Amino acid sequence: MASSFLNRESTIAPAGYNRFLVPPAALAVHLSIGQVYAFSTFNLPLTKILGVTHTVPGDWNLKEIGWIFSIAIAILGVAAAVFGRWVERVGPRKSMFVGALCFGGGFIVSAIGIHYHALWLLYLGYGVIGGCGLGICYISPVSTLIKWFPDRPGMATGMAIMGFGGGALIAAPLSVILMSHFKTAVSNGVLETFVTMGVIYFMFTMIGVYSVRLPAEGWKPEGWTPPLKPPALVTQAQVAVDAAWRTPQFWLLWVVLCMNVTAGIGVLSQASPMIQEIFTGRVTPQMAAGFVGLLSLFNMLGRFFWASASDYIGRRNTYFVFFALGILLYSTVPSIGSAGSIPLFVAAFVIILSMYGGGFATVPAYLRDVFGTMHVGAIHGRLLTAWSAAGVLGPVLINYIRQYQIDRGIPKAQAYSVTMYIMCALLLIGLICNFCMRAVDEKYHYRAPGKNT
Amino acid sequence: MKARGIILWLAVGIPLLWGVMRTLQNAMKLF
Repeated sequence: MASSFLNRESTIAPAGYNRFLVPPAALAVHLSIGQVYAFSTFNLPLTKILGVTHTVPGDWNLKEIGWIFSIAIAILGVAAAVFGRWVERVGPRKSMFVGALCFGGGFIVSAIGIHYHALWLLYLGYGVIGGCGLGICYISPVSTLIKWFPDRPGMATGMAIMGFGGGALIAAPLSVILMSHFKTAVSNGVLETFVTMGVIYFMFTMIGVYSVRLPAEGWKPEGWTPPLKPPALVTQAQVAVDAAWRTPQFWLLWVVLCMNVTAGIGVLSQASPMIQEIFTGRVTPQMAAGFVGLLSLFNMLGRFFWASASDYIGRRNTYFVFFALGILLYSTVPSIGSAGSIPLFVAAFVIILSMYGGGFATVPAYLRDVFGTMHVGAIHGRLLTAWSAAGVLGPVLINYIRQYQIDRGIPKAQAYSVTMYIMCALLLIGLICNFCMRAVDEKYHYRAPGKNT
Repeated sequence: MKARGIILWLAVGIPLLWGVMRTLQNAMKLF
């Protein structure tokens, strides 16, 4: 019974089904897994598991704990690539359910790890098992929404992926509230918070599992007909996942996503110390926390705004804006820093972060334009390996170059200037790759077995 | 169908709105 409920066939929507009931399903899933962006709220408390109020010998250090998040993000990309085809085959309901089990289960395994003070169980639990849940849940609702909104694929995927950005806005205060609630003389509340969050996120994802539907074969929105002459890059054909990643277009898009994410993720990872060091003595840690919050907010809003805008101005033009405007903003940041203008500095970075989020949200619709809808979820999964690569490249570039500059005697306030110019160079590479995008050669188009045309 | 839609949108909208408000409160410290 439960098995048939999860089957793909059970999710086919009846005639007349309101397609606007599907985005909340996607949002429920993405709001849950977006918690990963707020994992840093656990970093300091995890260093005080034995000491409760302070770190004592035997407690884990920040460097060891930092690996939990890194493993989770790396596994997210790998799982999305590996399980993409399976997600397409079994449908969104079963895959969301399995993803929820992994993500929620990852919290529980990690809680056991805290109980026995075994760090490897946190790497395995939140990092590997939870990371698999992240990857599966990330791609599951996206291809479903693209099928429901062929007329507005950018807006639809923007809505879902906005949830991933929004998840952090919920999880950060929720974690603090829960840890404070569970805190006792013998526990700092992290273990109990992990168990509670595992259960909460599993239950919340069930809203998506319960309400997700796939459109029937051949369904299209009432009154909508596909354009007779689609824009240059938009295909009416389908490209299978195994053919897609042999095309130059897949790898051009891989670089486009990687460069866009690298530019944003490096800033996100260092936002708080960066603003404090550039404006030494004028920005307190509390103000820096406000800056980080503002970046998260614009990261979320940019996902919906830019992806929706891409339906009107086209996917390639949207990425052109990301790269051109990004280069302009990054190249002016050192001057803004020297001029000491905090409002201009904040304005530049909230726009940059909106484009970082926008890049994630626009790419599924870009893939749909170039490769069709047939395997878009699986292709999206493989493309997300670019995120894993950028997750390493971005923070490493910012951290190492900053340190190199400081070691050479450059004042901290100016140590980020070179990094900003390197970000410009990365964005230029993305701009060129995006410029090179062309329609996929017909030899890669899918032909059903037995058909020659 | 309509009531179900409202419940679903509220179920995801309320937590998101709460998170946005909390973040905005935090962001105000910057100014």
